[in-house]
Amino acid sequence: MTAAQIRLLSLTRREVTRFMKIKRQTLGAPLLETFLYMSVFGAALGSRIDKLHGVDYVVFIVPGLIMMGWAMNAFTNNSSSILQQKFQRAIDEQLSSPASPLELLLAFSLGGFLRGMLVAALTFAAAAVLVDVGVAHVLVLVPALLLVGLFFSQLGVLIGVRAEQFDDVSFYQTFVLQPLIFLGGVFYSASLLPEPFRTLTRLDPVYYMINLVRYGFIGYTETNVGVSLALLCAAALGLLAVNYRLFVSGYRLRA
Amino acid sequence: MDRAAPPGGIPATGMIGRVRVPSDPAAAPRLATLAGLEPALRVTELVKRYPTGTEALKGVSLEIPAGEFFGLLGPNGAGKSTLIHCATGLARPTSGDIRVFGHDAVHHYRDARLAVGLAPQDLNLDWFLTVEETLDYHGGYFGMPRKERRERTRELLEIFSLTGKRDDRTRTLSGGMKRRLVLARALMHRPRLLILDEPTAGVDVELRLELWHYVQRINAEATTILLTTHYLEEAEQLCSRIAFINEGEIVAEGTGRELAARYGVASLEDAYLELVGRNELSRTRLAADAS
Repeated sequence: MTAAQIRLLSLTRREVTRFMKIKRQTLGAPLLETFLYMSVFGAALGSRIDKLHGVDYVVFIVPGLIMMGWAMNAFTNNSSSILQQKFQRAIDEQLSSPASPLELLLAFSLGGFLRGMLVAALTFAAAAVLVDVGVAHVLVLVPALLLVGLFFSQLGVLIGVRAEQFDDVSFYQTFVLQPLIFLGGVFYSASLLPEPFRTLTRLDPVYYMINLVRYGFIGYTETNVGVSLALLCAAALGLLAVNYRLFVSGYRLRA
Repeated sequence: MDRAAPPGGIPATGMIGRVRVPSDPAAAPRLATLAGLEPALRVTELVKRYPTGTEALKGVSLEIPAGEFFGLLGPNGAGKSTLIHCATGLARPTSGDIRVFGHDAVHHYRDARLAVGLAPQDLNLDWFLTVEETLDYHGGYFGMPRKERRERTRELLEIFSLTGKRDDRTRTLSGGMKRRLVLARALMHRPRLLILDEPTAGVDVELRLELWHYVQRINAEATTILLTTHYLEEAEQLCSRIAFINEGEIVAEGTGRELAARYGVASLEDAYLELVGRNELSRTRLAADAS
């Protein structure tokens, strides 16, 4: 292994070690949350709802829950990890190492990305035991989920770097991300909404992500798959570029 | 620690806690070979201006030859930590040049940072890691292969009497243990320049002496040391040369005696009090007044 590979691996291992050491909070809690959503919305409420676009209601919401698990965990992990390290000044050890800005950015990004992927995989495994969830379009599903993970892990890094207190992180999580995800159609089909809510939903970027993932799983979408994938790719890479510039400049990391 | 050894001298054996470290007979020849090397640290016209407009460093120039034990003294807010942060990549200089063993520490930082070990004033340990992981991950951040990391970790755990605590989370350690670990971490990648930013602040006398002995030993074995401290006795005991920094400028430099002579006083402490404009606190003067 080269020195650069050892550095990147060690920096990433640190991020993975962090969330694995508090896995009740980082993995257990999101899984319980998903289980509760499936129980309440799927089993209890879903039994009174007819099929949605040809599939059982509980099956209809599973793709959104998987996407939500990956997105929220990627964001929360990275924003919290960076802010915590800034608070403790433990981040100085990494900043004063020979690691390049790109190596640091990749490692901080991968922590949340991998945690989100783990939560999403466990959610899928649990859902597959409880309900009949198939994969309709794997070639859309895989890039869609990877891009969702990349986008939210970058968003987490951005907020973590900008944040000066924990309130900054929880503000974005509670007042921005959660409403966007919930109103993006995790639990319902936007086509059933009356106007103006149907149009408003189309202004929510998460709506397109949910539709991509839903299309990958059950083959149903209300948006153009190609355009959505292209826009998601552009947004994720755009955030990556912004974060790279921040790491190169040392914005709020180096005095 | 060799408890019989005088606090200011280099003991025949070094020891942190209860572990004995054999002295290195090759140290003296190695030190002699340093004469022809690039300076360990060369700072030229370094300016650091914060976005608030505060100018923490106002064109600082400083040179620390390889192998030296160098002290940087000054009151709080004088610019000591800013200078260290600029040299280690934690702060971005506004202008000027910083070279570590000839390597540009700002634009081509990789080789410069590989050569530097920083033991910061704050005990900035990663709460999520154990003692052993702290050292192992640090080695990884500096590109050390796994086998080398494992051997070096074992060695440092022994030297700093941390072997029994290897699986403990860092936040459960006592203040003294944390201080040892911070120093061990700084040494993990075998830096040629060790920067100690107030390493003995708040530690008990025993640990202070242990740390003194250890850093004197590694200095004798060719590691250059830059020490900032508020303990003038510490600087006098350890440092071959000292610089005073005040309000972002190096105002005087030399041995303890030279600095005292420059200010026309009897001791380094009095010279320091002259520097900060508080000579009414001079113990020499108070004793003279009392008699």
